[in-house]
Amino acid sequence: MVQIQAKLNPGYGRWTPFWFLAPAVLALLVIGIYPTISALVTSFRRYNITRPRDGFPFVGLENYVNVLSDQTFWQSLGLTARFFLTVLPFELFFGICIALLLHRPGLGMLRALARVSLVVPLATTYAVVGLIGRLVFNRDFGIANQFLNAIGVGGLDWLGSTTGAFIAIAIMDIWQWTPFCALIFLAGLSMVPVEIEEAARLETSSKTAMLRHVQLPYLLPGLTAMLILRSADILKLFDMVFVMTRGGPGSATDLVSIYIQRVGFRIFDMGTASAQAILLLIVTIVLSRLYIKLIYKEIE
Amino acid sequence: MRKLLYASLSAVALLAGAVSLPSTALADWLETAAQPFKGKEINVTFLDRPGYRAIIKLLPEFEKKTGIKVNYEIVPYENTREKQVLNFTSNGDLTIALVDLVWIGEFAENGWITPIDEFTADKSITDPNLKLEGFFPLLIDAFGSWGGKTYGLPFDNYSGLLFYNSCQLKEAGFEKPPATWDELLKDYAPKLTDASKNRYAFALQSLRGETQSADSFMRVLWPFGGSLLNKEFKSNLLSPESQKGLTFRQDLMKYMPPGIISFDHAEAVNALAQGQVSMITEWSAFYGTLTDPATSKLGECLAVAPEPAGPAGRLPALGGFSLAVAEQAPDDLKKASWLFIQWATSEEIARPYVEAGGVSGRTSIYEQPDIKAKYKFVEPMVASWQKGVPEFRPRFPAWPAISEVVAEWGSKMMLGEVTTEAGAKEIGTRMEGILAKEGYYDGKKELLQ
Repeated sequence: MVQIQAKLNPGYGRWTPFWFLAPAVLALLVIGIYPTISALVTSFRRYNITRPRDGFPFVGLENYVNVLSDQTFWQSLGLTARFFLTVLPFELFFGICIALLLHRPGLGMLRALARVSLVVPLATTYAVVGLIGRLVFNRDFGIANQFLNAIGVGGLDWLGSTTGAFIAIAIMDIWQWTPFCALIFLAGLSMVPVEIEEAARLETSSKTAMLRHVQLPYLLPGLTAMLILRSADILKLFDMVFVMTRGGPGSATDLVSIYIQRVGFRIFDMGTASAQAILLLIVTIVLSRLYIKLIYKEIE
Repeated sequence: MRKLLYASLSAVALLAGAVSLPSTALADWLETAAQPFKGKEINVTFLDRPGYRAIIKLLPEFEKKTGIKVNYEIVPYENTREKQVLNFTSNGDLTIALVDLVWIGEFAENGWITPIDEFTADKSITDPNLKLEGFFPLLIDAFGSWGGKTYGLPFDNYSGLLFYNSCQLKEAGFEKPPATWDELLKDYAPKLTDASKNRYAFALQSLRGETQSADSFMRVLWPFGGSLLNKEFKSNLLSPESQKGLTFRQDLMKYMPPGIISFDHAEAVNALAQGQVSMITEWSAFYGTLTDPATSKLGECLAVAPEPAGPAGRLPALGGFSLAVAEQAPDDLKKASWLFIQWATSEEIARPYVEAGGVSGRTSIYEQPDIKAKYKFVEPMVASWQKGVPEFRPRFPAWPAISEVVAEWGSKMMLGEVTTEAGAKEIGTRMEGILAKEGYYDGKKELLQ
């Protein structure tokens, strides 16, 4: 292969691919791999940076034992799982509905406009989403309560009640991430070869059958990617929730990332915080492998 | 005749000279002291609050006089400690530390800030009119000192005050604000609350975080005779007095807007400013927000009083920041920073500082009749600073960790998820766990708070 390439192009040598890949690998090393290894090392140390006099000794698995026996960690992880299971079905359902609507032929300009507007929530910074959330769900002048009042249901105390606050952050997450699902599904739908789709239309007029047997196989790779990205994303979802509720009221929105930030940057116990982060990394990897194994299928 | 004229002219000139002496003396002193540091740059963290906006307004004067450039970065309060700690632990560029009352123990014990006697020993860089006794003793004690040593000078100073809507109180038949918490709950609150009109008597900012632990939780402990810790540094939250305070807060919640648990300072101040609530206990620093017609509807209705007293007396919330020299800075920048700190907290600058919206920690400025007359918050604030507990919130390095526990379980109490007793028990166990780790129970550490 190399010889053929070299014949075609005299500048091509054995190391050419390496040089092309080097910048990306180097960037990954610096911003991805080095910090991860550093976190791994820190997780085996007693490392509170506000106690430099105590030193930073290696303590083996002590931090991991502490984390795994910490009730608050498990609670916040459970809450994060509940959050994931709450928002994801909505995002997938609305995402596929929007994608199917936009996939219909003959929309012209409208489709282009819709695609652009779908990017807006995605492009909004998390912290800004949180600020918008604080305004939308304000009890007295928020638009959420104005809407509820208009349809005759009384206003709710969104951010001041445990259930309300959880629903509020879930709604903001759904608002921000449904467009992402829609765009990925839309890309999947546009992969379906036109001739197959037309042939299928001749066979059946049922849209469900079309979706199930013709379009779904093309959507699965996108779905897998989405699941992996959303799982990782929700495990590290911080800014939006912190701005909206700071994990409160009580511990109603105390997602695991909020808890880790508190341990890391309020108490500055970097050892424990690193152990927590490494455990989350393991959870993400396991989940990703599961998704790929259970859902992902190559299209033939 | 001519001689007499000359004599009287020179007398007038002398007199004029003498009158302007203090400021000239200060100018001369500062200019001379700053000579070796011309062109140096010092770095400090500021907050987006009135006291900092005031000093920023006055900065050009300092920079002109001294030739020292002051670089400041404005950081939200919630991130200030994090930013500074990371800066100090990585030998960063900060030459001045902004020290919240509750950080003084941590900053001092880690050697991140320099005691001022290192500088006051050097006459060439010390204001001849420094007068440490000119600060309110409570302030310099609480914000600036740790373990008997002074590290910082009080710069942005707060006392908790009762801000109230005197018009609404009058309508309900009250000529005076409540003098005690008990009165507030039993007499004032029922008459000032009408949920159907969305009107409530009181708002206590209680958002999870430092707001919950410091502004809400600790506020109801001290006046009722309770406290977080007893003398042996064990939890005192199950004592009848502490429990009384915490139960009081639950009872008072009936007269607060729903969702009070999500109120931060801005929401509480806004609720009073817009007429939704009649009374709040807030930091003196919010006076400006409440008098500004752009942010407040109150106008002449705004009135200010000291916080109500409890059975243990009036022990209002105490908070604020001092400025201290950062130990990590090179020697010349340390000295330049010390000059800035003295200038920013000096008696000479107190008037322009107060007029620009700041709250000085100097006693003399509040004795001026025109200042007293112009700023309604002055008298109650000065009254509050006469007596108080420096350890209103413990100032030891373990506070941030404890504050998180208090914030979590304090909010759960307010939500009714746990009783005040069960919550207090939980806080107590976790807090003692933290303190044991710190070495307070095996005699390794002095019981300082």
